[in-house]
Parts: sequence; C-alpha cells; structure tokens
Amino acid sequence: MTKKKGGIDTAAVAFIAPAFILYTLFIIVPAFSSVYYSFTSWDGISPVVKFVGLANYREIFTSARFGNALRNTVILTVFISIVENALALLLALLVDHVKWFKNFFRSAFYVPVLISGIVSGFIWKIMYNYNFGAINSLLTSIGLGEWKQDWLGNPKLTLLMVGFVLIWKGAGYYMIIYLASLQSVPTDVVEAAAIDGASPWQRFKTITVPLISGAFTINFTLSLINGLKVFDQISVMTDGGPGFTTETVVYLLYKVGFNEGRQGFGTAVGIVLLFIIIILNAVQQKFLKSREVQL
Amino acid sequence: MKRRLISMAVCTAMVVGSLAGCGGAGTTATTATTAAPAGSAAGSETTAGGETTAAGAKESIVSAPTALTYIFADGDEGAKAAMNEIVSQFNAAYPDITITIEPGSGGAYSELLKTKESVGEFPDVMEMRDTAVYQRAGMLEPLPQDIVELFKTTVEFDGDTYTAPLAGENTNGIIYNKKYFDDNGLTEPKTYDEFIQLCETIKSKGDMAPLVIGGQDIWHIGFWFYKAYNDQVLSGDPDFIKHCYDGSKDFRDPAIKAVFEEMQQLFQYGQDGWVSTPDAQITTFLVSDMAAMMYSGTHMFSQIETADPGFAYGWFAVPSPDGKTRLVGGGGASGLAISAESAKDPDKKAAAEEFIRFFYAPENYKVYVEKLNAIPSTVVTPDAAFSPMMNTVIEALDNADDLSCMWNVRTGENELPPDFRNFTYKTTIEVIQGQRDIASACDELNKTWQVAMQNFNPVTSKQ
Repeated sequence: MTKKKGGIDTAAVAFIAPAFILYTLFIIVPAFSSVYYSFTSWDGISPVVKFVGLANYREIFTSARFGNALRNTVILTVFISIVENALALLLALLVDHVKWFKNFFRSAFYVPVLISGIVSGFIWKIMYNYNFGAINSLLTSIGLGEWKQDWLGNPKLTLLMVGFVLIWKGAGYYMIIYLASLQSVPTDVVEAAAIDGASPWQRFKTITVPLISGAFTINFTLSLINGLKVFDQISVMTDGGPGFTTETVVYLLYKVGFNEGRQGFGTAVGIVLLFIIIILNAVQQKFLKSREVQL
Repeated sequence: MKRRLISMAVCTAMVVGSLAGCGGAGTTATTATTAAPAGSAAGSETTAGGETTAAGAKESIVSAPTALTYIFADGDEGAKAAMNEIVSQFNAAYPDITITIEPGSGGAYSELLKTKESVGEFPDVMEMRDTAVYQRAGMLEPLPQDIVELFKTTVEFDGDTYTAPLAGENTNGIIYNKKYFDDNGLTEPKTYDEFIQLCETIKSKGDMAPLVIGGQDIWHIGFWFYKAYNDQVLSGDPDFIKHCYDGSKDFRDPAIKAVFEEMQQLFQYGQDGWVSTPDAQITTFLVSDMAAMMYSGTHMFSQIETADPGFAYGWFAVPSPDGKTRLVGGGGASGLAISAESAKDPDKKAAAEEFIRFFYAPENYKVYVEKLNAIPSTVVTPDAAFSPMMNTVIEALDNADDLSCMWNVRTGENELPPDFRNFTYKTTIEVIQGQRDIASACDELNKTWQVAMQNFNPVTSKQ
C-alpha cells in the first residue's frame, strides 16, 4: 500500500509527474501561447510582435480562401468518416466470419496503417500519375484507356482521390476496433434470435449493431478528428492544388503561417479549427452515445 | 519497496529517453564523404586562400574542430551532384572542418527553411532565397568585403551584402526536339505569332504534345507566368509592383488580365495531365518523343544529356507579342548566406566564410556552373566547358532587348510580399483549368494583395 503524506499519494505523483510535465511543456504551454500569437501579426521570424486585436479573426470569417478551405475540410472529413467506417466494418465482418487464414487477413488489412502518411502519399502519387502511373497504365492495358483520368489534376476528382488514400491507410485501424467489438457480442443472444427466425440482416441490424455502437462512437470520433487534421498526404500529393482544390484548414494554416510569413494569422486559423473540432465532436458524441446499448 | 524503486528507475529512464529524442541534427542529414575525387582541390596547389600542407590539406583556420550544417534547394539533380562534390572536396581540404549537407526539400525550399528556423535548426550556411525577409529579421551575417569583390554584381541591404550569388539568373527558353523539327520541316520562330503557329502545327500533326509543362511543381508555373508577366505588365510598367504598393495601380489592371489570357493561350498546347506532371518528368517527355518542346532554364541541358546522351536538342527564346526579346538574366538577391547566430562563434564564422571562398574558387565553381549550365556570377570566369547550346543562350542574352530577374526575387520597392507569388501561380492554375474566370482571379489577387500590404509595404513604410 502506498503511503500518503498530507493526503497526497507521493508515489502516484512521482509516476504521473514526468508525463504531466512533458504534456504541459509541449501541449498546454504552446496552446496558450498560440492564443496570444493569434492576436498578433507576428511573421514567425522577427523578434518584433505587433498586437492587432481581432483583425486576424475578422479576416478569417470574411476570407473566401478560408471558406474554400473549410468546405474542402468538411467534404473530406464527411467522406472519410462514412466510407472509412463502412469499409472497416465490412472488413471486420469478413475477418470475423472467415474460417481460414483469419490472422493473415487481419494482418494484411492492417499493414497500410503501419505505413507513414508521407510514404503512403508518395506511393499513391506515383500510382495516380496520369502518364506513367499504375492505375492509368492498367486501364490502358485492359482496353479501358478512355477511362484514364488526371486523378490528381482534375479539380473534380482530386479531393476524393486524396480521400481514398486516407481511407486505404486508415480502414485497417478501425477494423481492429470493430473486430474486437464484434467478438464481444454474446453468441447466445445471436443464436436465440436465429432460433426465433430472424434473418442474418435482422440479426445484424437489431442485435449486432446496437451492441457494437460503442465502437461506432470511438471510430467516428477518431475518423472525424483525423479527417479534420489531415496534412501529410495533401502536402506530398497535391500541395493543396490543383489551385486550391485540396487546401484544407490545416493546410491553409501551414501555408499562411510558414510560407506567407503570417504566423499570427495562421495561429488564429488553428484556434478556430480547435473550436470547430470541439463543437463537432460534442455534437457527434451526444448523437452517438444516445444510441449506445449495453447488455 | 524494491519493486517501487525499480518502477521509478524505469520511469526516469523513459523520460530521459524521450527527451534525448528532442532536438539535435536531423537523422537524415548526410555528410559529404571526405574521400576527395581525382583532380580535386586536395592536390598540392593552393586554391581558395590558406596555405596547403604537404599532405594536401589546408592549414587550419579554426582553433578547434568545427562542424557546419549546410542546406540548399536540392530539387535539381545537377545542383545536388555539384554541391555534394564541392562539399566533399572542402571537407577533404580542411580536415578540421566538417560540413554536413541536410536535406533541402526540393520544391518546398522556402517553407523548409522557415520550418527549420522555427524548430531551432536554422543551418549555418544555406542557399538563401528570401534574403530581404531574413535580413530584416537580423538572421543573416554580412559577407566580408573580400568575398563581395569576387562577384560581378551583388545586392546590398542597408549597405551590406548578405548573399553570394550562385549564378546569374537562370535564363528560360524553349528547349526543343531538333530531330522532330528537322524531320517535319519546322524552324525556330522569330515572332510570338510564329511560335503560336508552330504549336498549332505540332498539335495538328498529333504525334506528340507541342509543349510539356511540369504543372505539379508550382515554381515551374512561375517560368511561364513570368514570361507572360514580363510581356504584358513589365513591358509597359517596370515598377508595377511599386505602383500597387502606392495605390496607383492594382491587380485588376488590364495588363494583369492580359497575363492570364496569354497563359491560357500557351497552356492549351500543354500535354494531357500537365497539372499533375512534376518538373522532374518533363525531360522524360522530351527525350521519349511525348512532347516537342519544354520551357525551362539552362539547368535542363545536363539533365537531357544525362537522360539521353544522343538526343539532339535546340534552344530558342520565345519572342514577346510586341516583337521584343525579353529574357530572365542578370543578378538577383539570392545566393549562399551565413547565419548570424552561427557567426557569433568565431570558428564557425571563419569556417563558413572559407567555405564560400572555396566554393567560388574557379576550379570548384566550375563544377557547379558546368553541372547546371549556369551563367557564372564571379568576376573571374571559371574555365567551364560550356556546351554549344549554352553559348547560344549566352549569345541570346547579349542580344536581348531586355534582361530582368524574376518578379519574386526583386528587392526594395518592387519586392513581393512573402509567398504572394505562389498564391498568384495557384490562382493562375484555377483560371487555366476553368475553375474561375479572369475577372474573379484578378479580384482575388487584389484582395490578397490588399491584406498582404497591411503587413508589408516597402513604399509606404519609408514615408
């Protein structure tokens, strides 16, 4: 049993202290200093920091470029969240029901998760290449040359193509969470429903889905946050282009902060993004948690 | 108790281990090998200052072993090879100085440098492109007079020179497939209209695209943009940017609209998928008969010769619509620079300055100039083996009606706000792809300009 001095568990404090100190120094302190810099016109290099009040925030809410970035972010995030979770659930169901090589399939679907974002971006950038990429080359070789597309150059397609890469990379991670949840569904309940004449779809819809809704909550929350802060693939594959077609809020923050010497404005964009994430997450949590069922 | 002590020790070790991962040099940095190639400055002759010891190494100019970090834009293979070779030779000649080349991030060089600065890893020596920005922030060390005197022209800021120009501005022109031209009876155009007709002729033949455009790299778009900007804007007003700063002009000017129109006209002759083609691939297009012409700088000559030593190519300057020949040339504000922070250490300062002297010594600078087919910036011209094509370019420069540096490297009252050029190029892509019309592009440029001017205005800030 640990000894407590004056009500403080010194051992517990000693164990928590390193992580707490690091977290404070590298997360909390920069976050608070970011709030300060968001009210300045600091260029990120100069020792002079000029206070400009709410000018940065006024510009954000009247800027067409921010509006475009926000729209791209919402489209990408919604697309990724829905498709990624649907695919992850499908993969989890497949792996859960497959009789042979279960471990192999589970590992194979998880491998893309282990690849770094930058590397995955490079791989797909080469595959998407209009003239020399594997996708267009394959289409040409099987007689579907007219289906060739400029995957990363067509402004109507580029955002979705970036989304596909993110889904390919992330689905395996969410699959593991769904798989764990599926394996915790009591088999006797499912069997009882089968005996009562419920079809596979009815069993899935009325028993399995409510019982794995906790996994839905976790996975949708994670994919929402990850979608809102995607950076690596956009940086490598498109640099926010063509034009500004794939420029998201995070990428805009990076571009204005580091390229345009407007660190103050970039920081204000970051603060606005933080509030967007908090609000969206709160709404999503309220909606999904209300649907959770536990036996 | 014993278990608790072991747990505390493990926790402490984990914290120390995680902190040990912070800071320090990047793990991907490479040190140029100290093995000097044959014929290098490690020979017994004295080169860039300093006496040479009997073993071939120079006498020490530092009081203790000194390490320097060096970053340059390594997107061009020729530049990369040249820099690696020169640094290797320097490290061999000065055994107590070690220069480590760090990755330069290719096309995102300006962003890389700012990122490096923000994480406290600003290099000791670097290729500096945003000279005015960093000079104003007090981050660059003035170069000593003996180095400044090595060059034909340099750019001063408040009476000091901060950059040693790597070369004269890279002259852009059309590099074309000579065999294709000869086989099809095509000739170099003498007027802008003839150039457009040439593109039409090649397009109608259907063998290959008239032009290959590396649109994925934003700076490649800049080559074309500056041509159109020079033709339509600077031809009428060389101080257009200054006039935008003082409010007498703005980006809704008809000249800017004409720039977008010229870009639309030229880009219709680009290959399919131009917007996602990286600059590094355009050589492949040319030598593989997928495109007849490319518009780029003289640094491409060595890349073409490396890709296909037997490929016959020609070069010509694209005339302006008004009949004049306007070329990128002359000196600019970018070049090799020394970090002011690094220069506080006398050994690092001495080592950095010696490296710059060494770099520009004729027998070493020759390596850079030859690999990039660059116009030498030094007073003493290195004995570089220029190709006949390079001589064609030099002749064109001598006969051009106008020589100017790119709009994004100008200083003083015509200096662009930080990264306005990339915003302009991206907006240009939107116009060419039909995502937005010219009028709204001009409005958007103007809005962005008005915002940028609030933070940076070299004209009104002087008043």
